Amino acid sequence: MNLRHRTARTALIAALLLSSVPAAAENVLLTLTGAVTDGRVELTRADFDAMDWHEFATSTSVTDHQPEFRGVLMRDILAHAGAEGSQVRAAALNDYVVDIPIEDFYQFDVLAALYMDGVPLTPRDKGPVWIVYPRDDHGVLADIRYDMRWVWQLVALHVQ
Amino acid sequence: MTTRQEWIRYLGLGGLVLVCLGLLGLAAWQLVQLERQMRIGASENMIWVFGQAQIEALNLALTLSDEAAAQQIQTRFDVLLSRLTLLEEGPQRRFLEDAGVSETLAGWRSGLLALDPAQGADMAALRAHVTALVAALRGKASLVMSHEWQIQAERLDRLGHLHRLALVSVLGAALAGLGLAAILIDRERRLMRGRLDRLRAEKLAGDLERERETSENHRRFADLIAHQLRTPLAVIDSAMHRLTRRGGPVSPELVSEKAAVSREAVARLVKLTDTALMMSRLERDGVLPHLGAHDLHDLAAAVIDDLMVAQGRNPSRIRPPAQAAPMVALCDPALTGEILSNLLRNALLYSPLDCRVDVEVSQSQTHIVCRIEDRGRGMSPEEIARAFDRFHRGSGHETLPGSGLGLTLARHLARMQGGDVILTQRAGGGLTAALYLPREVSA
Repeated sequence: MNLRHRTARTALIAALLLSSVPAAAENVLLTLTGAVTDGRVELTRADFDAMDWHEFATSTSVTDHQPEFRGVLMRDILAHAGAEGSQVRAAALNDYVVDIPIEDFYQFDVLAALYMDGVPLTPRDKGPVWIVYPRDDHGVLADIRYDMRWVWQLVALHVQ
Repeated sequence: MTTRQEWIRYLGLGGLVLVCLGLLGLAAWQLVQLERQMRIGASENMIWVFGQAQIEALNLALTLSDEAAAQQIQTRFDVLLSRLTLLEEGPQRRFLEDAGVSETLAGWRSGLLALDPAQGADMAALRAHVTALVAALRGKASLVMSHEWQIQAERLDRLGHLHRLALVSVLGAALAGLGLAAILIDRERRLMRGRLDRLRAEKLAGDLERERETSENHRRFADLIAHQLRTPLAVIDSAMHRLTRRGGPVSPELVSEKAAVSREAVARLVKLTDTALMMSRLERDGVLPHLGAHDLHDLAAAVIDDLMVAQGRNPSRIRPPAQAAPMVALCDPALTGEILSNLLRNALLYSPLDCRVDVEVSQSQTHIVCRIEDRGRGMSPEEIARAFDRFHRGSGHETLPGSGLGLTLARHLARMQGGDVILTQRAGGGLTAALYLPREVSA
């Protein structure tokens, strides 16, 4: 990765984070752009709290036991943001970017987890948001092609 | 084959089936194992995970040296921390332990936490710590890479091994299956041979039975002929004896009477010989019909004439067919004459002297039919059913001259020409003998 590219990416994420400064009290956790209401929707913790919360335990590819995850369904987030599209480009704090078909969120109960084993996720671990698939409920999900979509440190979703 | 050998064969067969199924089961199990191991796990992606930790360390070092905004430094700090946290979690930690790099990496995370910028840590100390971390990570990157590839290669070896085992199992099962097939084919061959032997034996027995029947027929035929020959010979002998008896002169009337009796006896002998010859030729299939178009009226009339002349009988007893439209059949005139003469003689012989015999010719869609009706005793359905058997003589007629071959011969000759002879009871008493012959179809 060349320096300019990296700086630009860092600047983008910083901008996403900093743009929420005016409302810093209501820390923005997730920003949706693209085909959403007014082209941009920011979700704070309060917005998350207003939605239905779900929880399930599942094995992951990077932990030993089966942590208990708690959060809101990805499809609820998309519905909340009035998203219309076929896929989202998920971007993480650590510059990880991956495209996820929106179909996944309707086919499976994919969680935008904010808690793991009752402990809030932070940017120092896999927070603020970790996309978690119900890996143990569907054999097909135990596959590298789905493992790639488990985005942690999720901060932005671009609907397209 | 003894029971013991049978048992050994069955055990062998069962054993082969078991081996075959067992090997197939083994192959299936190995293939399932193969399928399971062929998945790629994200935890195998350690080159990427380790590389990302390295990059984040570099990012933080760069941000620190750029003296960027505190927020930006904090973000890079958090992300690096998360990368180190990931390396310390279960699967990743075990991998690094196996690769022998976990010890060199231990302690970096806690060291970093102690220098948290959010807690107002010394930036220079943080910079020095991160620079040292970058160097430590760079020193171990190649070890991680080679360990990763080592694991992948070993995994492929395992897959290859499983694959070979499955292949060997399938080949073994195929061999067992071949053995099984060989045994079954051998068994089938034996069964087939047994069946053929049985069929041959049955055929032989049938041939023998037929031969016995034929020879029995010949014996009865010879007896019958001898018996039939005796009567006319005795008649002639008696006539000759009367003529040559010593005593008074022989009147010319007596001579002519005895001559007539003798001639009739001779004629019967000739007829008998002819029938015997015909039967004998038929048995050798020596007679082939010469088919042609002939009017059955003419044939019947000729036969009636011959019969009257030869036997000097009362011509008025037979009512010949009325001449109507021509009734042309496709037949052999000699054979047809023989049949008609046979049926007519039967009709005359088996009905009272003063009763009429009607001959009538008609036609159906496909056949020309000549019916000969007598007013004799007739025959019961059972008698009719047996009438065509060889050497069968009608009940109560044993004393009348006859070979028991006439009807058999007549039907045989009719069928040779594509026709038939059928007996039915005549309405009003007596018997109707019908000769069917195919119609001549003029093209």
